[in-house]
Amino acid sequence: MLLVLIGLLCVLSITFLLSEIVRELRFLNSARSDNVHWALSQAEVEFLDFRNAVQTARTSTSPDALEDVVVEFDVFYSRVVTLRTGTFYSSLREIEPFGNSIEEIQNRLDAIIPIIDGPRTELRAALPTLGNQAAEMRPLLRTAATAGLQYFVERSDQSRENFASTLLHLALLATALVFALIVLLVYTRRVGNQTEIRGQELADAYARLNTILETSLDAVVVSDLDGRILNFNPSAERIFRYSQDEVIGKNIADIIIPDHFRDAHDAGMKRMRASGEQRVVGHGRVRLEAKRRNGEVFPVELALEKAQAGEDEMVIAFLRDISHSVAAETELVEARDKALAGEKAKTEFLAMMTHEIRTPLNGLMGNLTLLEKTPLSQKQRRYVRNMNISGGVLMHHVDAVLDVARFEAGAVQSREEVVHLGRLLQDIVDSQAIAVEMNGSHIQWGWIGKPAMWVRIDSSRLQQVLLNLVGNAIKFTHNGRIIIEAEQTGSTLELRVIDTGIGIPENEQERIFGDFQTIDRADSGIQSGTGLGLGVARRFVETMGGELGVESAEGEGSVFWVRLPLVIEDGPEEQDTTQLIEDAVTGCDILLVEDTEINLELAREILSGLGHHVTEARNGQEAVAKADKHRFELILMDIRMPVLDGLGATRAIREGNGACRDVPIVALSANVLPEARDRFVAAGMSGFLPKPLDENELQRVINQLTSRRHIPAETPRPQPRENPLQDLLDRYLSETVALFAWFDTKPDDLAEIAEQAHKVAGSAAAFGQPKLRDALVAVEMAAELGDRDQLRLAIDAAKEVWQDAPEPTLP
Amino acid sequence: MNIFRTISAVAVAVSLWAFPATAEILPSPEGPVLLTVSGKIENTNEGETALLDLEMLRALGESVITTETIWTPDNHTFIGVRLKTLLEYIGAEGDTINATAINDYSVSIPISDATETGPIIAYEMDGKQLSRRDKGPLWVIYPFSSSRDYRTEVIYSRSIWQLDRISIK
Repeated sequence: MLLVLIGLLCVLSITFLLSEIVRELRFLNSARSDNVHWALSQAEVEFLDFRNAVQTARTSTSPDALEDVVVEFDVFYSRVVTLRTGTFYSSLREIEPFGNSIEEIQNRLDAIIPIIDGPRTELRAALPTLGNQAAEMRPLLRTAATAGLQYFVERSDQSRENFASTLLHLALLATALVFALIVLLVYTRRVGNQTEIRGQELADAYARLNTILETSLDAVVVSDLDGRILNFNPSAERIFRYSQDEVIGKNIADIIIPDHFRDAHDAGMKRMRASGEQRVVGHGRVRLEAKRRNGEVFPVELALEKAQAGEDEMVIAFLRDISHSVAAETELVEARDKALAGEKAKTEFLAMMTHEIRTPLNGLMGNLTLLEKTPLSQKQRRYVRNMNISGGVLMHHVDAVLDVARFEAGAVQSREEVVHLGRLLQDIVDSQAIAVEMNGSHIQWGWIGKPAMWVRIDSSRLQQVLLNLVGNAIKFTHNGRIIIEAEQTGSTLELRVIDTGIGIPENEQERIFGDFQTIDRADSGIQSGTGLGLGVARRFVETMGGELGVESAEGEGSVFWVRLPLVIEDGPEEQDTTQLIEDAVTGCDILLVEDTEINLELAREILSGLGHHVTEARNGQEAVAKADKHRFELILMDIRMPVLDGLGATRAIREGNGACRDVPIVALSANVLPEARDRFVAAGMSGFLPKPLDENELQRVINQLTSRRHIPAETPRPQPRENPLQDLLDRYLSETVALFAWFDTKPDDLAEIAEQAHKVAGSAAAFGQPKLRDALVAVEMAAELGDRDQLRLAIDAAKEVWQDAPEPTLP
Repeated sequence: MNIFRTISAVAVAVSLWAFPATAEILPSPEGPVLLTVSGKIENTNEGETALLDLEMLRALGESVITTETIWTPDNHTFIGVRLKTLLEYIGAEGDTINATAINDYSVSIPISDATETGPIIAYEMDGKQLSRRDKGPLWVIYPFSSSRDYRTEVIYSRSIWQLDRISIK
């Protein structure tokens, strides 16, 4: 701005100066001035010439003298006319003395003309008159000359002054101009300095940028929109094994794009050029493949950015060679798959063991129940009861192992119900009394402070925990006392199992809660357990939202305390077992399907005892045949059976057109894993009874499922708070997600794929997603046929169906 | 007016123009001599000089200049012979003209001033022959109005009036 202003000032000054100079020059050049001084003096000279001629003619008789008078008159006359009329002398004539004098001279000359032009004789006669006339003109001429000279002296002074003032202006302007030029110079210099500094800064920034590019671990490849490479940093050289000089100006597609991405790359570049649409550019890191000089294709992480450099647009690619990390990842996935497979094998083994142990237990417990109904002596009755309780404890041990497995699978949920705390504690004391007595000890329980009656709690877990603690106390206490104390403080329930046994050294007090930790003492002669007890107990207590701890002094005894959140409930009305059975439905027509002779007999006895009519089948095939012909009111179906298992039989009945296709079917199984129950539901079963069969449980199921339900006397048992179906739905969802995640890891085990697909397929139908079920059945079939191509397609199709499936609904 | 003399003068002028190097004897003036030319000239009629009267000047062809002068009011129409034509007529060979007036005022005019559009030696102003009382009988007139170049002090000084002699050097 300043620069423009100064420039403008200079131009204006120069223009003004020039115009001044030109004006002066014109004034000097155009010289309208005839030499006035000369003209005036010439007039005097010519006047004198004329007077002399007159003088001479008066003394001479020569006619030439007369002729001279005429010539000199004419010359003088001509001069006077010039002075009187010439435009150059107009300003001069405005001065009165000059104008008047010249006018007077002219008049006098005009008066003489007739004499001059007349005959020469008259002229000669008039010579004295001419002399007088001339004498009279002389002072006039003198006045004119003096006035003219005076005027021109003044004018000349004026002109000099003007010229001096012009020169002064010129000098001032010149000074101003020089000053302006100096300012301009300083300004220009400063601008120059700034430009230099900026240039230096730019160079520094460029150097920094270059260093960054050169030391970057990521390959940086810059290209224009046509794909011509503009920049290729050292990391790019190392990764792609080209030198920068080799690739500059070449097409990026020829250098680093693998052949199978060529078409997609070209299409992408074309699209970006044509419409500016960007699918990869500016969308963060993506995984793609690139090609090395030797043609090797390797995985890269790629980020593309578009940038503007002046007029040109360019694309900057940041590439990271991730072949190592991809390899490591693959290894990890394999390792994880192997670990998962191992874990699964363990769970399967546990499930198998549970089943194998539970089946004989089933027989034992069932027979005890039957024995209880025979006439027994008071003593015998007590023994049977104790055996029953110990059998239950054994069942709990089996369950403990199962629980560990379930903890590992993360599928443990607290199942709360309303129980009478006093009865629960009494049961435990009763069941353990014999063992306590065998060690010469005594056991009792009691409330400290105000007793609590009905509470909402996971009673099964609590029972397990207390049995474990009491069991330990019994083991380590001989000829002493075991006391169970219960105390409620605010919203907390504290239960203490106190013994006067050998105690636990302080340094072992924490260790005993670990898994598989046992305390072996050579002197105590105590047989070790599984070592799982306290670990499982602590897990249970924590699951219930409580704490489990110990205080002990070696040689004096131990106190194991359990603190749990306390929820007091209104208890149900008192009812006894006989009442329940009297209210029960009787005379049902039931089909019992069981392959094991002992279990069949046991179940039949119980059912007959409850007054039901029982038809037997030894395997699934037989069951289907019988169910086809006769409509039963209920079918009790074992799961593991030869020829056709329980699930197959159930499906056959449900899908067939027989008499029993909508009759309730209840599974009988020692497999209590929740996964197993889901399979039952998926196969179309209506309920589940765990083995060993419990008479009360059996009757309850019959009451629930048969049409002859005895409504008024229905046991108003407290229902579990949570909706088990909602649990199932949640589990179904997580399992389905897990299944597809597992499919994504490209599993190889066809049998496993078939089984997993089958599992979820069954649930899918039950939860209102029949299309997903069909798709998964297709997966299962493909896996069973061993057709890997077909399997891949089926999995993809199932994935699509899963994504488009409606929200699952409760059955 | 003598028609024969006029024709012969034109003939001489034309032949001179065609053959400038050839010396000629000019016809003698019959009226009063207005101009006496001396110095480096080819053609003469009185010894080393050439004497010219009004008829002879008129016979060289009339040129007209309408202009203002600083010595007279208003525009005037001057008629006279083009200086260039005159110089050719007398066969001038030098490069300077020394022009002298009746009152012996004298001035130098470079031959280079004598161009086709240059000064004339005027003998008539506004249709009247120039009298001696009116800057006559001959007055060197430049076309002052036609160009700034003619309005300089040097040119004004060359515009000599009451001219009666020139000498070529």
